[in-house]
Amino acid sequence: MIWKIAKKEFLLNLMTFKFAVGTIVCVVLTAVFMPILVGDYQQRLKDYNENVAANEAELRKVKVYKNITPTVYRPPNVLSVFSEGIDNQLDSSEKIDILAGSNVFLEAEAKGDNSLLSVFPVLDVTLIFKILMSILAILMAYDVISGEREQGTLKLILSNTAARYKVLLGKLVAGLMTLIVPVTASFILCLLILLSSNMVSLTGAQWFRIALMYFASLVFVTAMFNLGLLLSCLSKNSAICLVFGLFLWLLLATILPNASAYIASQLKPIESPEEFSGKVKAVTDRRGSEIKELTKDIKGDGSEAATDAPGAFGHTYYHLCNKSSMDYDRKTYPITEPVKIKYFDKVLGVKEMHLNDLIRQKQFADNIAGGSPIVLYENLMSVLTGTDFGNFKCFKNNVRTYGNEVSDYIRSKTENFALTSYFTPCKEGDYEKVIGVLYKPILEAKDKEKKAKLMEAATKRYEQMLKETPSLDLQDFPEFTYQPQGIRETLQQAISNIGLLIFASILFFALSFVAFLKYDVR
Amino acid sequence: MISQIVRKEILENFLSLRFVLSLLLVILIFAVSGFVFISKHEQQLQDYSKDTNRSLSNLRDQTSRLYRLAINKQEVYRKPKVLALCAEGFEKSIPNHFRFNAFSGDYPQIRVRTNALLFRFCDVDWVFIISLFLSFGALIFAYNSICGEKETGTLRLMLAGSIPRHKVLLGKYLALMFTLGVPILLGILINLIIVTSSENISIDAGQWYKIFVIIIFSFLYLSIFVLLGMFISSRTSRSANSMVILLFLWVGLVILVPSFGRIVSKTFQKVTTQAEMQRRLSELMEQMFQDMLSGKYGENAGSAAPLESGICNPPARARFYNAGIEERNKIMDEHLNQMTAQVVIGRRFTRISPTEIYRQASETITGTGIGRFSELRRQISRYQGDFKEYIRSRDAEDPNSLHLLYDEMYTASLWRTISHKPVDFDTVPKFQELDLALGQSLKLAIWDIGLLALFNLVFFAASFVSFLRYDVR
Repeated sequence: MIWKIAKKEFLLNLMTFKFAVGTIVCVVLTAVFMPILVGDYQQRLKDYNENVAANEAELRKVKVYKNITPTVYRPPNVLSVFSEGIDNQLDSSEKIDILAGSNVFLEAEAKGDNSLLSVFPVLDVTLIFKILMSILAILMAYDVISGEREQGTLKLILSNTAARYKVLLGKLVAGLMTLIVPVTASFILCLLILLSSNMVSLTGAQWFRIALMYFASLVFVTAMFNLGLLLSCLSKNSAICLVFGLFLWLLLATILPNASAYIASQLKPIESPEEFSGKVKAVTDRRGSEIKELTKDIKGDGSEAATDAPGAFGHTYYHLCNKSSMDYDRKTYPITEPVKIKYFDKVLGVKEMHLNDLIRQKQFADNIAGGSPIVLYENLMSVLTGTDFGNFKCFKNNVRTYGNEVSDYIRSKTENFALTSYFTPCKEGDYEKVIGVLYKPILEAKDKEKKAKLMEAATKRYEQMLKETPSLDLQDFPEFTYQPQGIRETLQQAISNIGLLIFASILFFALSFVAFLKYDVR
Repeated sequence: MISQIVRKEILENFLSLRFVLSLLLVILIFAVSGFVFISKHEQQLQDYSKDTNRSLSNLRDQTSRLYRLAINKQEVYRKPKVLALCAEGFEKSIPNHFRFNAFSGDYPQIRVRTNALLFRFCDVDWVFIISLFLSFGALIFAYNSICGEKETGTLRLMLAGSIPRHKVLLGKYLALMFTLGVPILLGILINLIIVTSSENISIDAGQWYKIFVIIIFSFLYLSIFVLLGMFISSRTSRSANSMVILLFLWVGLVILVPSFGRIVSKTFQKVTTQAEMQRRLSELMEQMFQDMLSGKYGENAGSAAPLESGICNPPARARFYNAGIEERNKIMDEHLNQMTAQVVIGRRFTRISPTEIYRQASETITGTGIGRFSELRRQISRYQGDFKEYIRSRDAEDPNSLHLLYDEMYTASLWRTISHKPVDFDTVPKFQELDLALGQSLKLAIWDIGLLALFNLVFFAASFVSFLRYDVR
């Protein structure tokens, strides 16, 4: 009996105007926007590859270990076309600037490529799904019971031997069968477009994630359908049911998520940026005073001299330095650099605490908005695609580990920063030799013309020397590897959201069942 | 006759469930929005006053030496606006912190209490409530205004009389606008009462005018959705079908089109990536270094040795530094302009949706959003010029100074390239953000106003023609 009702309802649904419009809109929007989203992903991947290549090129230019401040990049996530999450919002790169200070021309640094684009809402497949599928589910469900009552067919069905629960189950099965059509069609289309583009290949884990997303989408439309079913069982008039359903949808889709963020920011306030930067400054100030204290007894003889040259990663290095300067730095760096490494880790610790505060606020907002299946679905998709804060934290942890690897590498290569190769490529006596050969004759020359000629020749020779300075051999330099969350961690994180969605779905159906048992069919 | 139709329709609407629901929800949301705005605004004012006082005190500290005043960077924060109550303009995503000295500036930064993890959420301001909630309400009221009467059979009865069709249409339109006007005006009134009851918030005459203009915009905006509803209603014979079409149209216009902005921006305007910017700045530094070595700025431009050593050349060093800073400023300005232009392209495209037109028009009137960011940059650039002139004039009074204005603290201190004399803090120009007057704002919003009116005209004409040809049987 259930199957008969389901079949009849399914066929009737397929012929409805709302189903046709809903399915066509879903498929067309997916077909139009998926190539754009994939194109955006490809662009981000291209930028990422360029950045990584540029970073490697800079590494090849490194003349002294002190200049090694590579930038590591978070590779874009191919599944972000399904749900962008925070992928584009937070930093996708981090500079491993442990030892070198910033240069005057490089002080300016902005986060993200164009932060101003945040004025636009995010467009991804989840947006299309969460809005259109939920509306379609409510539209399919709002007149399932009340509509049949108005037409008078409900009393005819129930005057027969069909049990009420069978009628309701039949309608649920039919509704789900109908909604599976646009969900499946859109998913297949998404995958076809994704796979047909260059630069995209999916791993087994990513296929598994896509399968989970498909499952989550089905659970989500079931929950929304059951919500519509519940309203239909509670009302006698399908128009009233529709108005109620749509206002409820509006509350769940727009008002509740925004209000929850609003409330979370009031009840779980985060520190102001100035308070945060004050904490970072306190750490760096402590670093400064510790370095000052440790180096107070190291004194030069006052004859330190050095020539700066532009080095890798926007820094400068001593191309030449005299013996006094060399001795001074050889004594200083083994003391100062370990302190800098220690405090680099401390600053990362402060930043991590701040990030944890942000996560706590976000989770609080999610808890408030957890009553909305739409928010649950959105968060679930973000977790499944790996574009939520979990993966961002993974990136930050990877950066911290890599920072330690880099400092250990430099430490091992420079005998705890004591070798001159840490700060200069020149050897003892080079400075005096070059100054003696190139610049002394200029100072001694009386004739202005001769002076200019000598100066020109010296400059050319010096430029030649700069070019000939060999780069460091960094064949064994550690490589950065980004290890995103594994599937197990993702499932652990997703389980509560998917559980809540299933619970909401069952709850709405159970309530509909109770309401339908008491429903006056006349 | 029109008044009779209007009266009947209004009474009918007032007694409907949808009106009661809309009224209650709208009032509730406006009231909550008012309370939340007060606490948020007070927090913002507190943060702003703390930040501004700190930066003013830093500025005061620098006045002990003119060169320090010129070279140390001062900070300017965007002031929280009361009219953000109407249209917040996504300001939490727009940089509010500017750091600069007389020669150059850093990238503007976002220094507000904002959680990047909650980026998907926007503030529940008037524009949000009206553009989302009430536009939806307008469709819920209008979807069966024509076809609903046809289904119940009352339309043919009405038209069997001597009443012309345009009067029926006009009557229904006016009644719908009046019905929607009640929740809006009541909501806004309650919101304003709540907000003005706060001690820290005061609204001046100019702001009241602006609020009035935004209310007019709101009516123009809702009128578009009412007319759209009537148009679709007079194109369909079943109200259920009309509802389905309108729902999908609403989703498209209100939710999807604004989301396309980012994609359109990225597709049609490329912005240099941060990594590329860093590379350009590195290349600039290398180029400058090469030029300096080749003597482009004069001999010994690279030397910062003491004056008495004789191997330094302050004017050459000034040329070297000023050329570097000028190039750097050019690269950064170009990049910031690119970033703004990228957003503007997306915003222009999204104007195919009345929601975005309404949002952008309201932001222009309240002086919030991306327009304010560009305006602030302009004002800061002007102020930087004035500030540099001030430094130049005070420096000229010191005979011991070398009168070489450039951005290097070490040699300014060592060589006295800029005066070391103290200056009176009160004479130092301070940055003050200027609000645009209503007339100027209206001028900027003229395209948006025109588009709002055009949408109204188009949908009115469309619904009029459709209704004239409507088969009432």
